[in-house]
Amino acid sequence: MVNTLAPETTERAHSPRSLAPAVDGPGRPRRRQALVAYFFLAPTLLFFAVFLILPLGFALLLSMSRWAGFDLGDIDPVGLDNFTRLFADGSTFLAPILTNTLLFALGTVALALAGSVLVATCIDKLRFQGLWRTLYFLPIITTVVAVGNVWKYMYEPGGLVNGVLNTLGLGSVAFLQDPDTALPSVVVVQAWASVGSAILVLTAGLKSIPESYYEAAALDGAGPVTVFWRITVPLLRPSLLFVCITQFLTGLQSFALIIVMTKGGPGDATNVAALEMYRQAFSYGDWGTASAAAFVLFVVVLMVTLVQLWFFRRKGEDV
Amino acid sequence: MIRRRFPWFSYLLVVTGAVLMVVPFLDMVMTSFKGPGEYGTLPYRFLPKALDLSNYRAAVGQLDLPVLFRNSVIATAVITGSVLLTSSLAGYALAKLRFPGRDFIFRLVLSTMMFPPFLFLIPHFLILVHWPLAGGNDLFGRGGAGLTVSIAALAMPFLVNSFGIFLMRQFMVSIPDEVLEAARIDGAGEFAVWWRIVLPQTKPVLVTLGLLTFVDAWNEYIWALLVSTANPDVMTLPVGIQLLQDYVDPTRTMPIVMAGLVLSILPVLILFLLLQKYYIRGVMLSGLK
Repeated sequence: MVNTLAPETTERAHSPRSLAPAVDGPGRPRRRQALVAYFFLAPTLLFFAVFLILPLGFALLLSMSRWAGFDLGDIDPVGLDNFTRLFADGSTFLAPILTNTLLFALGTVALALAGSVLVATCIDKLRFQGLWRTLYFLPIITTVVAVGNVWKYMYEPGGLVNGVLNTLGLGSVAFLQDPDTALPSVVVVQAWASVGSAILVLTAGLKSIPESYYEAAALDGAGPVTVFWRITVPLLRPSLLFVCITQFLTGLQSFALIIVMTKGGPGDATNVAALEMYRQAFSYGDWGTASAAAFVLFVVVLMVTLVQLWFFRRKGEDV
Repeated sequence: MIRRRFPWFSYLLVVTGAVLMVVPFLDMVMTSFKGPGEYGTLPYRFLPKALDLSNYRAAVGQLDLPVLFRNSVIATAVITGSVLLTSSLAGYALAKLRFPGRDFIFRLVLSTMMFPPFLFLIPHFLILVHWPLAGGNDLFGRGGAGLTVSIAALAMPFLVNSFGIFLMRQFMVSIPDEVLEAARIDGAGEFAVWWRIVLPQTKPVLVTLGLLTFVDAWNEYIWALLVSTANPDVMTLPVGIQLLQDYVDPTRTMPIVMAGLVLSILPVLILFLLLQKYYIRGVMLSGLK
């Protein structure tokens, strides 16, 4: 669900208060409290062992093996073969799949960021702010199956988008069937679906900009555009960066929307790394290649995550 | 209020955007009421000619809706209940109890949030297939289908949530030790302290976490798809509705799919509208989803 923390909560994790020791009750030996604590933690630790540590090891083993998927004894270690094959000449993994993944993530970030900055700054000046935010928030609580299908239908020749184009006197576009328009069309949907949460984070950032800055700018006779670029954007930078990185991380990992809308097609036009992993494993039963693809994507995601952690930790020290 | 000098531009932009956000949902509802021959014809018409309920009847008839609903409800309830229970237990231990290895376990919880979900898809599935002594498997996980054929498989990978533990711990740290100490002096055991003192104080966070978990579990698609491919008896609503496209006459598919979608998102929508304050706080706490 979540693999990043809002800056504020990370900061709280490092506050000295979090290290405050619990006081031992009189007549209750510390050993007893440790026993209770481990009892309380037992389900969690058991879960971590079975569904976290074991799977990580298993996935790493699979990424360096060839295996048909039946008898665990038949796992055949092949070293880095799966990885070299992913990047061999003629492999589709680097291009178009990994390229699509980056384009998908970048496109989503660009659209969602531009949209959410504009809307969030404008909502900040209006009445009924809660109502507006709720409307922008609707796609987030909806299943990806609903979002994907509604848009897939809207992109069809008899659907809403082409209906609007036709009314404007333009010809119909085969959005999801044309390899040139398929990826941008899916990017629009992903951005549409994620604008609401970006607005929330940016709103929190906007609320922390002192009103006096705007009053001073108005006294100096600055217009709304100048105020936006000279005051709002620079002071909003931490929130903007946070939205940027987290949306980018989400974009790199998305594939449910693509399964629902295009199944990666036409050809490989909308295929992304996580979807390729899914298909290699569950359509072709090639667990080795699938796991190798998963680890390559993981390394990309990890690098972005580390950049984020590094940035926000440094930010925390500055404050 | 200098910032409110040109609100007409803001209204224009925000309302246009809001229309763009809502229109797909309206289109879904409108399409779900379009009768035979109304969908896919040119020129495009937004409004249906009449409120035709045949798509809803067809969706209910084509899908085993009671079973899909039951599976979705069971999986969602089990996941939400388990996450609330394990998060509040572990959160309490990490916030308020003293024991060797506490810092290590807390760091472990934090670091698990760095691993993206897609990395676990394959190993989780294979671990459930090769679960020992389940679904015809022997002690070494050979021979059968393992746990993938049981409804438990829908919930298992989501039973514990590191973010939930983190959230509960951060909140419980701020409960004064004196309150807990007073209860202990009155003879309450740690379990009673957790249940009677700590849980009532954390109710708002529990609602937030419960709602976040509920919405995620109800909307889960990829994992539910994998599990129900192995065993159609445990299919959930999102998977069933997506599969609907394969069953129905193509010229009538979309309106029926839309009817199914309307039915499937209603429970979450109602819950969200009732408790949106808690949900939105949860999303802000957890960063972006």
